[in-house]
Amino acid sequence: MTQEQRSGRPDEDRARVSRVDAPLRGPFLLLFGSAVLWLTLGSALSLVAAFKLLPAGFGSCEWTSFGRLEAAARNAFFYGWAGNALFALNLWLLSQLGRFEIRNGWMAAIGGLFWNLALIWSTVSVIISGPGAYALLDFPAGAGPVLAVAFALAGLWPVVAYAKRPTGHSFAGQWFVVAAAVSFLLAFVLAQVTVVWAPAAGVAQAVAHSWYVRTATLLWLGGSALGLGYYFVSKVLARPLHAYYLASVAFWTYFLFAGWTAPASLIGSPVPLWVQSAGVVGSMMMLVPVLLVGLNLLGALSQEGGWSRAWNSTALRFISVGVVAILFSLVLAAWAADRSVNAALRFTSFAEGQGVLLLYAGVSMTIFGAAYAALPRVSGSRWPSAAAIHTHFWASFLGAVGSAVSAFAQIGGASQTMAFVGLVSTGLLLAGHLAFAANTFATLLKGSPAPESHPAQD
Amino acid sequence: MNDRNRHSDRSRPRQGGPGPEGFSDGRLVEVHSQIARNKQEPALGFSMTPIFVVFLFCAFGFWAGLYLTRNSRGFSASAFDLDAPVVSASAGPVAFEPDAAKGEKLYLANCAACHQPTGMGLPGAFPPLAKSPWVAGDEKRMIKIILLGMAGEVEVAGAKYNGNMPNVGSALKDAQIANIATYVRSAWGNAADPVMDTSVAEVRKALGARGQLSPKEILDAHPLGK
Repeated sequence: MTQEQRSGRPDEDRARVSRVDAPLRGPFLLLFGSAVLWLTLGSALSLVAAFKLLPAGFGSCEWTSFGRLEAAARNAFFYGWAGNALFALNLWLLSQLGRFEIRNGWMAAIGGLFWNLALIWSTVSVIISGPGAYALLDFPAGAGPVLAVAFALAGLWPVVAYAKRPTGHSFAGQWFVVAAAVSFLLAFVLAQVTVVWAPAAGVAQAVAHSWYVRTATLLWLGGSALGLGYYFVSKVLARPLHAYYLASVAFWTYFLFAGWTAPASLIGSPVPLWVQSAGVVGSMMMLVPVLLVGLNLLGALSQEGGWSRAWNSTALRFISVGVVAILFSLVLAAWAADRSVNAALRFTSFAEGQGVLLLYAGVSMTIFGAAYAALPRVSGSRWPSAAAIHTHFWASFLGAVGSAVSAFAQIGGASQTMAFVGLVSTGLLLAGHLAFAANTFATLLKGSPAPESHPAQD
Repeated sequence: MNDRNRHSDRSRPRQGGPGPEGFSDGRLVEVHSQIARNKQEPALGFSMTPIFVVFLFCAFGFWAGLYLTRNSRGFSASAFDLDAPVVSASAGPVAFEPDAAKGEKLYLANCAACHQPTGMGLPGAFPPLAKSPWVAGDEKRMIKIILLGMAGEVEVAGAKYNGNMPNVGSALKDAQIANIATYVRSAWGNAADPVMDTSVAEVRKALGARGQLSPKEILDAHPLGK
């Protein structure tokens, strides 16, 4: 990785921009740039919130109370970072696989603009007037429709690229990304209606909310991340995925059962028993796609020195860590859905640790890996600093693992030592994200050469 | 056109994409859709995998069906936990059946801390339930103690205890108390009749809201059998 960083002749500093990538440049850089800004903002808010868990604490200002900071940080990470980054990367991935040259990129840019404006509005509103009752839907009611329209403009491009692919052939990575985009929009609109605008009666609201959270987390973020995983594992290793013919089963079972895992978070609450039991069954059934995705991806990585090759490729190093973390967190979720285990873990920090594994060690790492591969190809300039990449990898890896360990260790009860470990880990995450942000913006500021004149699509 | 070389451009940084030997995107899609069509990879030889997956999938599906039917109380919208009575669509609520196994779980969660899982109590502190005359005979005696607790000096199996039992049962449902009593009255060598939830409801209603009972009050109403 390091020898690539030394720039020799000036033109060696340039990566080639293909015909597919060239028209993507504007929207991709806008979306990804804002994603990185949200990432650093969210990590900074998380760090302040983590200070709040220490006895020393500071301040008693309402605006900096733990609940508000935590909600703002969660939204910034979820919609700001992962959302924007997946708009960019999913569009990029499907353009590559479908040889799709985007014509109306301005629509994606407008969508991204409104998405970010609505997010700024809701972040300010969460900080000033407090979050609502429902996590991930706790922005002002008016921001919901704006986000939905913005998503339709910015997030549905993978569907267009898929529909316009030149051959009838398709690849598992495409299925995951397309289904992820469609299912998020569907879930978001339904959740807006049933939770915010025309609230369903009684516990149906809680059921709808839990369904939305799981769909958005597992299908949109998780599904997109697995799609990127399918692509990069095969691409970087230059070999077909292990037992690839099972990928369609993995895909369908994943998208079938992910939504049904939702009521597992409501076990023991006054929702009808069969709904709770369906959640238990859904969580257990998720082990089927977990096994099959593992067979496809980890199987390919385990053959002929795949892991060491993954380790030596920046993109695949991040992505293989991400895929392993996603699968592991789903196994943990299935275990915790068992009724007797759930009775012990229900009101503890277990779910938080599992969420950290899924989002920070899983989805986020996968996005980083994909960005390390995609950004140079779109922007036309290389990553300027290998040291920053190393810092980023270790800081975000150790930060995510440390945060999860801190949450798991406090299952039995709050511990000051572990709250401190959590604080240090959140600091590590912020450090890693700052290194990534510095590297990203250095890349973007280097500018780019004009696209090459000869056809260079691949 | 050489597909494999098209993207392996020396000017591209390695972290900017796969190494020179990486797949091109077109080839990646092609190779995989070929595998998906042929459903086999003779060179890699894992023909056993599909059979294994089919079996596993069947096992999961079987378990899921079993679990759902056993833990859904007939998909009733008014059953909220596993202790809810089984409701069938036609016959209304099914009658309560005393269940010593459920009682044992409840006993271990609510009673065993003092009376011990063995039912032997702790000498000098908590009286035994095993072969205790307080447990046998009139079920109302035991129900009252579980519901309201008991404070004062008692003599059980020749030993004196000056205990103070809290009103453990006020937070439990009638059916749960009935199951606990049924379990205690049938475990550790006890052999008294099972207790119905209706008896608990009756006693609870008759007692109303009041504090702990004294041993004398209980023994006056329900003398120990010999």
